[in-house]
Amino acid sequence: MERILDRGAVRDNPAEEAFLIVEHLRKTFKDRKQVVEAVKDISFSVGKGEMIGLLGPNGAGKTTTIKCVLGLVKADSGRIEVGGVDCLRRPREAARYMAAVLEGARNTYWRLTVWENIVFFAGIHGISKERGKDYFEYLLEVLKLKEKRNVEVRNLSSGFKQKTALACALAKMTPLVFLDEPTLGLDVESSYELREALKNLQANEKRTIVVSSHDMRVIQDVCSRVVIVSRGRVVVDRSIPELIGLFRSRSYKVVLTVNGASGGWSVDDIRRKFESLFPLSSSKATKDTLELSVTLRQPAEVYELVDFLKTTGASIETITQEEVDLERAFLEIVRRENGGCGTQS
Amino acid sequence: MWYTVLKATWKQCYLHTVRYWFNMLSGVITLYIIFLMLFMGTKAIGAGAFNLGETLEGLFTGYVVWMIVLMGFQDLAWGITNEAQTGTLEQLYLSPVGYKWIGVFMQSCNMLLNLVLMAVIVILMALMTGQSVHLDVVSLVPLFIAAYLQANGLGFALAGLALIYKRISAFFQVVQFAVIGLLVLPWNRFPWAKYLPFTMARHLLQQVMMNGVRLWQFPLSHIGILLLVTAVSLGLGLALFSLAETKARARGLLGQY
Repeated sequence: MERILDRGAVRDNPAEEAFLIVEHLRKTFKDRKQVVEAVKDISFSVGKGEMIGLLGPNGAGKTTTIKCVLGLVKADSGRIEVGGVDCLRRPREAARYMAAVLEGARNTYWRLTVWENIVFFAGIHGISKERGKDYFEYLLEVLKLKEKRNVEVRNLSSGFKQKTALACALAKMTPLVFLDEPTLGLDVESSYELREALKNLQANEKRTIVVSSHDMRVIQDVCSRVVIVSRGRVVVDRSIPELIGLFRSRSYKVVLTVNGASGGWSVDDIRRKFESLFPLSSSKATKDTLELSVTLRQPAEVYELVDFLKTTGASIETITQEEVDLERAFLEIVRRENGGCGTQS
Repeated sequence: MWYTVLKATWKQCYLHTVRYWFNMLSGVITLYIIFLMLFMGTKAIGAGAFNLGETLEGLFTGYVVWMIVLMGFQDLAWGITNEAQTGTLEQLYLSPVGYKWIGVFMQSCNMLLNLVLMAVIVILMALMTGQSVHLDVVSLVPLFIAAYLQANGLGFALAGLALIYKRISAFFQVVQFAVIGLLVLPWNRFPWAKYLPFTMARHLLQQVMMNGVRLWQFPLSHIGILLLVTAVSLGLGLALFSLAETKARARGLLGQY
């Protein structure tokens, strides 16, 4: 399948001073009923001190990739290196460098207090209370958990629970941290606070962080680069401004007047032809107008768009270049990967 | 590193015991009441029987060993099931020392707590029933540890099954009653029974508690069988757990509940 972005979108060279390297990772789950190729061929690298977003639709292979790196799932083949240590051959040694907040799990003990959880999880990573005390206090401060320090986790709101999980992962003082859906289930305010805390920590500590999330605002806000996976493969590996820039120059919205004066082409004809010519498109009809949205595969395709509009004979009310954010770019990529286009009416 | 992990694990074990004290207490009280009913019932029904004393002694020690076994395997098997359910198991697997050692450290803490608990229960049982019991700590503690470690072997095996098959709590309950079968197998009719888990431990514990035999007065062959069965039970349990762990990793089941 032709990719939304040219092949160059997938970076061939590992990041300079890469701390995490994943190469040709492959993982298939088999049971009696079915075989699922969760990860077909995933390669990416993350530089030291970099915070990247790992994105993809449900079932794309994000969580499996993260769990393979962490050693929770055994990869079929490929190479994973963290801080120069081969994770598949020396998993215990590699574990020293990594911590994670995992998706859909509590990650903490609900009958222990925030402080007791932090001390325990740091402890099983070899960080004693005596050694980490000042840093633990700092984490409580940054994550605004100070007042909840002696509260059992079960009595906290989901926002504070998630922050506690984050504090437990960070308290291990590992150079690499994975955050799988860190804002899942949080309200707007908690999500914002968590993002601010992450940015703050990143600015002060320069840790290597991989964030996987469905919430594009989180990724756009805290990450510098995104790796987008779809159907077990990396389809995009670019900096966020670069990715948004690419889509901004190619996304247009055209509003046509269709109140009977279009001279030949029916609304249905226009929509059908438009969507077959431009795969990354959608259309919406109202009583008097037809709204066409399109993301062009190449900037030069704009001429084809103009030619098409001319042949329909419809009168153009407006043509605007659409504002694009990461969410829009991501959706376009996923739709393209799935080979679809959308129609709304 | 190892000392820090051990300390953290023991602290967590202690805190959980304190926070869940009500659960623990209600469990112990239930077991205690069941014992009293069994004991009183046996006494009433068997009054006049010439070997009633022996039967009551057997019931007393059998029940003590059964409680040790329950403590030894339930903490492990239920523990891992709960951790998998709540999502903390994967976090424990991220420790650089590996989960198995965390499990061993937690079990060592549980064993100490259970040892204290058992001492209290045995004294209470003796006081309530009027059964005379020899509380020879030097002989009893090693036998308690041996029975407990055998139960840990069973616990590791069941925990391994729980990693892969998830909802097998009903099976745990079947096992806890199946253990009773092992404890009541008579040696004179089934001589091979002494090579099964818990049976030799139960026999030796009965000799110590009821007849005041000291540990070093037992025939070496009995001690040898006890050690062998303990080593094999624990070794097999750990091996099965490792096998299940490898399968769970391959199938991505560690955190999937």
